[in-house]
Amino acid sequence: MESYDAIVVGAGPAGSTAALTLARNGLSVALLERGQFPGCKNVFGGTIYAQPVSEILPAFWETAPLERPVVTEELWFLHTDSAVRVGFGSLRFARQPYNKFTVLRSRFDRWLAGEASKAGAVLHLKAHARDFVFDKGLFTRGPVQGVKLDNGEILLSNVVIIAEGVLPFLTAKAGLLTKVPPAYAYTLYVKEVLSLPKEKINDRLQLENDEGAIIGIVGFPTSTAIGKAGLWTNRDTLSLVVGAYLNQMASHGLSPYLLLKRLKEHPFVKRIIEGAEPVEYQAHMIPKGGYTFLPKLYGDNVLVVGDAALMISGRRGTDLAMLSGKYAAETVIQAKAKGDFSAKMLANYALKINRAFFMEDIKARRGDLQYYQNRSDADYLISSTLNELASEFFTVDLLNEKEKRERLTGILRSKQFPLKTLGDLWAALRHWEAL
Amino acid sequence: MLEAKFPEDPLPLLEINVDDTSHIALRDPQNCLLCANKPCTYICPSQVFEWEEEALKINYSRCVECGACQKICPENIIWEYPRAGYGITYHY
Repeated sequence: MESYDAIVVGAGPAGSTAALTLARNGLSVALLERGQFPGCKNVFGGTIYAQPVSEILPAFWETAPLERPVVTEELWFLHTDSAVRVGFGSLRFARQPYNKFTVLRSRFDRWLAGEASKAGAVLHLKAHARDFVFDKGLFTRGPVQGVKLDNGEILLSNVVIIAEGVLPFLTAKAGLLTKVPPAYAYTLYVKEVLSLPKEKINDRLQLENDEGAIIGIVGFPTSTAIGKAGLWTNRDTLSLVVGAYLNQMASHGLSPYLLLKRLKEHPFVKRIIEGAEPVEYQAHMIPKGGYTFLPKLYGDNVLVVGDAALMISGRRGTDLAMLSGKYAAETVIQAKAKGDFSAKMLANYALKINRAFFMEDIKARRGDLQYYQNRSDADYLISSTLNELASEFFTVDLLNEKEKRERLTGILRSKQFPLKTLGDLWAALRHWEAL
Repeated sequence: MLEAKFPEDPLPLLEINVDDTSHIALRDPQNCLLCANKPCTYICPSQVFEWEEEALKINYSRCVECGACQKICPENIIWEYPRAGYGITYHY
């Protein structure tokens, strides 16, 4: 039976980072991937960030398979036939030390797992850990001893790092899931990757060479649910994504696939993707449970990292996953040095996570879930109101400035009852980070 | 693979290695008769679930493994990952 210092379940960003860190420090580690290759089942919102990823892989842009450094970021409040757009472009972001890159997960994750493998981690492909092997306890089951694959094979280790992603099957089996997150603690996204010649991509988004752009879109794309759309540039493809809170799509009768089709028909989106050929369609969930649904991060001989540990804060996830993988690995290295893999020793991991910059944000955002459930009309209200105001503001007419101002405040007044507006503003102020 | 009812089915674009047996099951098919809106039929991004002739049909070969179905219907849908090496393989 194969035996390791550590088994890492899942070769995504969190798992591969953990395996890489462990292998670099001379520990024996097995990295398990249930698919045909790492990244082949993974989907995300488009970009990885230079600073946090450099913590793990200095100057990764020299060797990693990246698509484009992002120089243009825009946010569109999209309405049926208009849009309020805000954005920022900086050519500095096209140079070292860069800011963020678009990547394709099937290539990036494969590369990252390859780095772990080069450092000495043993990569097992088509290896799906369905359960643990537990030590025999006196009265109850003992601590985790290893994992059992779905072909019956057993791998043993001193510690198992669970990097299984958004669906916490193993986390539950390890007894670390404190509450089962319900549908409102998830968002569901669908994506289409569209092939378009590089010159056309550059022309339509005002880019040169390998420069990239990302556009976040609120309002129209998700119809009546809280969610987002995104459009960004890869080397010679565009990614178009749309999604929303799962429970809201279910109760509002929305099909994510039909939302994507509808978005593709919007004139402002259409003129960017015109003539582009769909080459892939993807779907994935994001665990938005946050602090409220955080699992226990460690137990005897076991740790949880990445999406499985709900390491999500706003738009950030992949970088936090990688950092959590690094912290878990560092904890295991020390545990190996001490010869102690008990929960007491592995609690160091929770300490590292709690002291990390992103945990402050995750804690601060704990009210967001309720906010979005109580104010599910927020996206519609903001987007439609902004468009009505902008339309009035930019229309040249025969009114004096005082009359114009009254028109604008009139739009605000007639949007909904003032008490509701007051309540919304109050809630929005208390959850401004959620917007 | 069975065709979707939605227009312009994107699934022919995808590489899916289909297992012989389904990784999706219902606790009790009778429960679906009592379900008013049947959200699984429109929430599933790849239209695995179809309501036909008073029964829920499960085209598990269309599954792209997002897991949303068991989250909106934990009462009746039992969903697991396909076996190792099976299921979806993305290239982008």
